[in-house]
Amino acid sequence: MNERYKISGLISLLDKALIWIALIGGGTTLAAMTCLSVWNVLVMRKAMNAPITGAEDVMILLLVVIVALSIPLGARTGAHIEIEILESRMAAGFAKWSMILIKALSATLLAVASWRLWHAGQTAERFGETTQQLLISYEPFYYLLGVSVAIYAVALVLEIGQLFRSGTVIRLNIGSGSL
Amino acid sequence: MISMTFLGILGLLTLFALLALRMPVALSMLFVGFVGTIIANANKFIAIGMASDKAWARGWKIAFSNLSGEAFEAASNYNLLVIPMFVLMGNLAGVSGMSNDLFTAAYRWMGHMRGGLASATIAACAGFAALSGSSLASAVTMGRVALPEMKRYNYADSLATGSVAAGGTLGFLIPPSAGMIIYAVLTEQSIGRLFMAGVIPGVILSCLFIGAIYIVVTRKPEIGPKGARASREDRLSSLWRACPILGVVFVTIGGMYTGFFTPVEASSVGAFFTFVVAAARGSLSLAASRDVILQSMNATATVFLIIIGAFVFIPFMSLTEIPAQLVTLLTSLPIADLGVLFVIILAYIILGMFLESIAMLVLTIPVVIPIAVGLNWDLIWFGIIVVIVLEMGMISPPVGINVFIVKSIAPDVPMGQIFRGIWPFWFAMAAMITLLIIFPQIALYLPQTIGGG
Repeated sequence: MNERYKISGLISLLDKALIWIALIGGGTTLAAMTCLSVWNVLVMRKAMNAPITGAEDVMILLLVVIVALSIPLGARTGAHIEIEILESRMAAGFAKWSMILIKALSATLLAVASWRLWHAGQTAERFGETTQQLLISYEPFYYLLGVSVAIYAVALVLEIGQLFRSGTVIRLNIGSGSL
Repeated sequence: MISMTFLGILGLLTLFALLALRMPVALSMLFVGFVGTIIANANKFIAIGMASDKAWARGWKIAFSNLSGEAFEAASNYNLLVIPMFVLMGNLAGVSGMSNDLFTAAYRWMGHMRGGLASATIAACAGFAALSGSSLASAVTMGRVALPEMKRYNYADSLATGSVAAGGTLGFLIPPSAGMIIYAVLTEQSIGRLFMAGVIPGVILSCLFIGAIYIVVTRKPEIGPKGARASREDRLSSLWRACPILGVVFVTIGGMYTGFFTPVEASSVGAFFTFVVAAARGSLSLAASRDVILQSMNATATVFLIIIGAFVFIPFMSLTEIPAQLVTLLTSLPIADLGVLFVIILAYIILGMFLESIAMLVLTIPVVIPIAVGLNWDLIWFGIIVVIVLEMGMISPPVGINVFIVKSIAPDVPMGQIFRGIWPFWFAMAAMITLLIIFPQIALYLPQTIGGG
């Protein structure tokens, strides 16, 4: 019983963290992307014929940030598309255990991806992986993407726990608004 | 050692098995692409005489490098900036009440005709599609506005729900379109040209949908009764209210067509103007802003993870040479190019009955595009055909996603009835594909005359 509360408590903590990170980090990043691009295009380039140097570089880095923040959120909301057509035809036991197996496989794959992204970050400087104009190193952005993928793996592990305890995965509901 | 063809078939079978077991599409492709790359490269090195242990070590190294390299490449692809920006634009439009204004304007101009409310729904969906790249968003947003109105005027449930489900699919064809962005990135086509290629087919398909409604209500007038005729002042005022939407569409699509904006610039300028309209209308409450941010990130997650998966999977498929062999096989068949196209369309229609459209798009591109290239088809034109066939899948039984969306808005309408209402629109899409095959210029005219070269 204690284990059950522990897992749902951890998931609830993760969900809250993801929502707040998405709202603050994601909201700021989306606003920054929009403002920077509009300022650069409409004001600096079209009106004043003096585009901001390195604006594209910053936009690319902001894109990596928004992707990194989005992926773990999508993991908990069910944004990552699954083919569910055969689910209704599966026996309950098979559905549960196959789901546990698949989630374990997915978590392992994501852990490997996270490790490799982290490793690529460590070697980014050596291989000269920087933005084109401002020469900003990609290193921290590799780390960010690596951490993002690792959080996805953690979410899957917690969902495995949820499956063991209650036989079902409870998704994070972010409302039924427009996509 | 195993042959590359066998490895490719094994890879595809593993992919289907993982998909059937509900592994996310992106992760299934990532897994098969990663493991397949190890085996394929190790085999290639062994084949040229390298020691087995060294060959496997090389295979692992290449696969590791691909995994991190392709994932970062997708997440830092400048062209893909259009995804969060257009998604943001669509979500801002959704909360700003623009959908209501669009429907009201269309309704006041068309509502007095038989089946006019259903036709107004299609017109409003087409307008909303120019703000949103998602068919689901179009169906949800317009369904909430249009279905209660059609119920009030005693429209048959089949016509009402069918028009919303079909109208929603226009979000996939009329730019900006998430599906087109993914197609463009994976086939290395210009996003701007592909967007332009969707404009005329989008308008024609909307007209065909309205034509389908006209035929249906002519045969059975009771299923789409006439609404009240709006006064001239009401019509003009509704048009005035819809002006901001037309302004945003003019800036984004017009800007791309004239070459004034690149697609990335158009997406951020469009998002900015939509934000200004939403803020000016007082639509951006804390709850609405929260919804916009979270939904935008949710859709960004969907698209990017699937692109990362495809970026790892597609090189593996190329290594196996299966696509090339399929091209050889199909071109050696005693059927003309048209026959091959027919086979591909038929395969898409069948797959569309069971697979989600974006999943189907990324899963089929590695196999289908080499065939299109081998037969010298224009990939922009072919992309539009693929997008329309995917739209057919969205409303095809048993798992048409738009039908489920409509069902969630109108839970009292049986699924069978919704699917019955779909067929006129399904045939309209088939007619659109036929028109595109006979007159490719429908899709190619705008991309060929696009500003900025």
